[in-house]
Amino acid sequence: MKISKVKVCVLRIEGTNCEEESYLSFNRLGAKPEKVHLKQLTGTDVSPEERRSLSDYHVLMLPGGFSSGDYVRAGAIFAARLKSRLSSDLVDFVRAGKPVLGVCNGFQILVEMGLLPAMSGVMSDSPEAVLGTNDSGRFECRPTLLKKVNRGRCVFTTRIPDEKISVIPSAHAEGKLMFPIERRDRILKELYENDQVVFKYVDPEGNLAGYPWCPNGAADNIAGICNRDGNVFGLMPHPERVFFRHTHPDWTRSPDGAGDGRPVFESVLDYVSKKL
Amino acid sequence: MSTEHLYSRRDVPFDMMDIDLGTATDDELVEISRESGIALSLEEMHRVRDFFSAKGRNPTDVELQSIGQAWSEHCCYKSSKVFLKEYVFGINNPHVIDRGDAGVMEFDRDHAYALRIESHNHPSAVEPYGGAATGIGGIIRDVLCMGAQPIALVDPLYFGPLDLPFDRLPPGIKHPKYLFSGVVAGIRDYGNRVGLPTVSGGVWFDESYIGNCLVNVGCIGIAEKRNIRRNAVRGPGDVLVLVGGRTGRDGIHGVTFASAVLTKESETESRGAVQLGDPIMKEPVIHAVLEANEKGLVNGMKDLGGGGLSCVVGEIALSGGCGAEVDLSKVPLKEEGLAPWEIWVSESQERMMLSVSARNLDDVLHVFKVWDVPAISVGKVIPEKVVRLRFQGEKVFDLELDFLTAGPVYCRACGVEESKRARRERHPKAKPRYDKELLRLLATPDICNKEWIIRQYDHEVRASTVIKPLHGKLGHWSHGDAAVLKPIEDSFRGLAVATASNPHLVGADPYKGGKGCVDEVCRNLAAVGARPHSMTDCLNFGNPEKPDRLWYFREAVKGIGEVAEALNIPIPSGNVSFYNEAPGGAVLPTPTILGCGIVTDIRKCVTSDLKNDGGAIAVIGATRPEMGASAYYRMWKCHSPKVPDVDIASLRAGVDVVVGGIERGAIVSCHDISDGGLAVALAEMCIGGDTGAEIDLSKVGKLKNDQKLFSESNSRWVVELRKGKERLMPKDRRAPMVKLGTVGGDSLRVTSSGKTILDIHAEKLARSFGETLWRLV
Repeated sequence: MKISKVKVCVLRIEGTNCEEESYLSFNRLGAKPEKVHLKQLTGTDVSPEERRSLSDYHVLMLPGGFSSGDYVRAGAIFAARLKSRLSSDLVDFVRAGKPVLGVCNGFQILVEMGLLPAMSGVMSDSPEAVLGTNDSGRFECRPTLLKKVNRGRCVFTTRIPDEKISVIPSAHAEGKLMFPIERRDRILKELYENDQVVFKYVDPEGNLAGYPWCPNGAADNIAGICNRDGNVFGLMPHPERVFFRHTHPDWTRSPDGAGDGRPVFESVLDYVSKKL
Repeated sequence: MSTEHLYSRRDVPFDMMDIDLGTATDDELVEISRESGIALSLEEMHRVRDFFSAKGRNPTDVELQSIGQAWSEHCCYKSSKVFLKEYVFGINNPHVIDRGDAGVMEFDRDHAYALRIESHNHPSAVEPYGGAATGIGGIIRDVLCMGAQPIALVDPLYFGPLDLPFDRLPPGIKHPKYLFSGVVAGIRDYGNRVGLPTVSGGVWFDESYIGNCLVNVGCIGIAEKRNIRRNAVRGPGDVLVLVGGRTGRDGIHGVTFASAVLTKESETESRGAVQLGDPIMKEPVIHAVLEANEKGLVNGMKDLGGGGLSCVVGEIALSGGCGAEVDLSKVPLKEEGLAPWEIWVSESQERMMLSVSARNLDDVLHVFKVWDVPAISVGKVIPEKVVRLRFQGEKVFDLELDFLTAGPVYCRACGVEESKRARRERHPKAKPRYDKELLRLLATPDICNKEWIIRQYDHEVRASTVIKPLHGKLGHWSHGDAAVLKPIEDSFRGLAVATASNPHLVGADPYKGGKGCVDEVCRNLAAVGARPHSMTDCLNFGNPEKPDRLWYFREAVKGIGEVAEALNIPIPSGNVSFYNEAPGGAVLPTPTILGCGIVTDIRKCVTSDLKNDGGAIAVIGATRPEMGASAYYRMWKCHSPKVPDVDIASLRAGVDVVVGGIERGAIVSCHDISDGGLAVALAEMCIGGDTGAEIDLSKVGKLKNDQKLFSESNSRWVVELRKGKERLMPKDRRAPMVKLGTVGGDSLRVTSSGKTILDIHAEKLARSFGETLWRLV
């Protein structure tokens, strides 16, 4: 299908706060994004003209923010509301090969819902991982460097060369990817075998490094993962914040070229236009 | 003293009193003012008594409380208005669109930006986390109610020394470290949740802030011009819709609390005056208000801040030349049993008042319903300029707005005790060891790297922060002078935001200090490539009833107004915060200025970090022997009466040279010279660029070396020039450019008259600069 026909659902509730820049990232590439409140999908309180159905869209994006305040574990409330009302719609959406992107709070929501890492099936009943409190113990907004380690499974990174180091900034308090201790090694092994690991935090030389290059202490420096089919992708850093060069943290030192976040959106639109 | 006989309870199913002012003695009037918490003077109580005598009835407690709010210093600026009128209000140009709860300025042909800064000092001194958070909440509403989308926050903060020994802490006062951590966390948790980048600010430390920390909060917004609204009703037929949070007992008497001196009992007595913030109510309120407004459903709106409903209803109605009738029973409450006066004056957070045409009411309510935000019609606009209130069918309030809003204006005595002013001159005596001194200066809390704070604030949510608060090579961060936002999707025009404050200078000489603050904000804006366009100021001073405190205020405002007027930079909004004192005395006189500048093309912006090996470094502007109030002299506990003055022609020329040089691509790095002088500016540029520099100060003028290195003369910048483009630099003899040396090497090496006076490895500079806050917090 043509990119201009690709409908993107940028889903939000109270406290979602990166929807505007997420919307713009798709809009700039010619797709048709729409900011949709969860209640438009569930049909609560909305007028018939405002009513929407998830199946009308080709891409689902869960933007960053502090949905519902994140006063309990980040993303838990949004995930619970989604799962209780739209579980089967979501499963159908993913089964149909349609892409789902979760950035920051969106990643936390995908993990809470069980759509990631989804070690078996499309959506696990309970979370198989958690994005825990950063090792530093607080919210931090800082530039991070991500090395693409995915071998081709993830549909959101096909336009990024292998091993390329991208500047994609982080801003979160709970981004430490963790797995149940007794299953940690097995899950990690499977993730690598299934080509589910997408981005890792590295230092400017491309080496796995500790704080502050890895801002949160995530397992194996993992910044983003996808499901086994590669169409559900979550990451803590914000590609939509570096769509252009001039929002890179150090752009005045090398002002030319596109932003490092842009290929994430190009890749998924590529995929949709070819596959759907 | 008992005043019980003057109160008579009305026979209604809720708490309400009529108060007999007519037969009350003067002592009883004073007591009534005190015990009801309205803080009116005897003279003001007389005016109230005479007004009601003429009406032939007694006021209700609702009415008396309402007058107390409206006539508080916080609401009616009774001590400051006369000076603000004289020096500031008159500065005008065609770019000013409105002067409402926030100022509104033209951004481009189709867009406007809104700006405002205010204080939340007393609440933050009692409850730092909640005080700072609700300060942000309030300033966001000020911008939102102009019809603008808030896009950035600014937070200048002032505390006592973080390492203050506990035995020196006065009774009832919280330790600076507790206040500092609480305030930063409050800003972080509210600002980040509500989804606005905190892009500028500053932290200053001084013993005078121990008893009364200062928390200033600023907000910037953007709107299409057609969506800008006034804080006024359109006319009779409008319905008043209260939206947002519920009303409770939190934040009662916030404005009167803000208009009195803090005491050691403030903690227990005034805790209830601090409101409770809820960013996850505010975030959908922003969406819903903007959505309803953009659909053309809103005629005017105003936020509920100081004084709550009591201030907003009268003001929004009167601004439209009308009055209002409100049914207080309709106000959604947090708990049952609030008396009508409590509902009327509560400052509970996250509330806004919308004035909408009756035919649009249902559409407005629907927008709020979808966002799960309470919204309810509480009253209507009437042609007479009166406000009438009902509560459970009973008439509880009936006042003419001309009286209610005609707060007193004072021209209070202004003077200064000469003994305090004349301080003995003292210069550093020890043999200078500039290496050590520069490292020490870099580590002082006022100058040191604020990364510890800055990174806890999301400074790039909304993805429009083009120039961020920290500049440098990845992993090597130093301070920038201004942030730049790119607010419009299809335009490269930028809005620069900078903060300036220099309480030490204002304390030493408020007139020159006021001028210096404007100079600094202009320097900061120019340093990224922006032309200064507007300012908003938050003026934090002591008790205005004391002539010496008021003298500082007048002189500072005069200085600010003089430079702003000469440069034609309007100040379309602002805030005065008096009574910033505790038993230990007043805070340093602290005007904070938030400046906005226009960048014609953000792709031309520069940062402070040095870029290219071999690039030429130059200073723009003249260095003078002005060491008074400098960070260097303060470090040595020295004093000089020669404080930096502003030469307006030089400032104007300097801005033109710097911005011209940046626009033409001749400048690749730029940093203004402020705290710590040329030496600190150079060090910061080396730290961000992770490089050294070879500098020769021989041509900086006939000055002593410490003056060359550390003088804080105004209107100066350090620039790195682009190779091959140097001749494109604009020239102006009032802002002379002197080449100092080149970028390169590992060390900042400074010579003067052939002698090396400074030689420090860049990493060592970075360490000194970077460690302080990590160590102290």
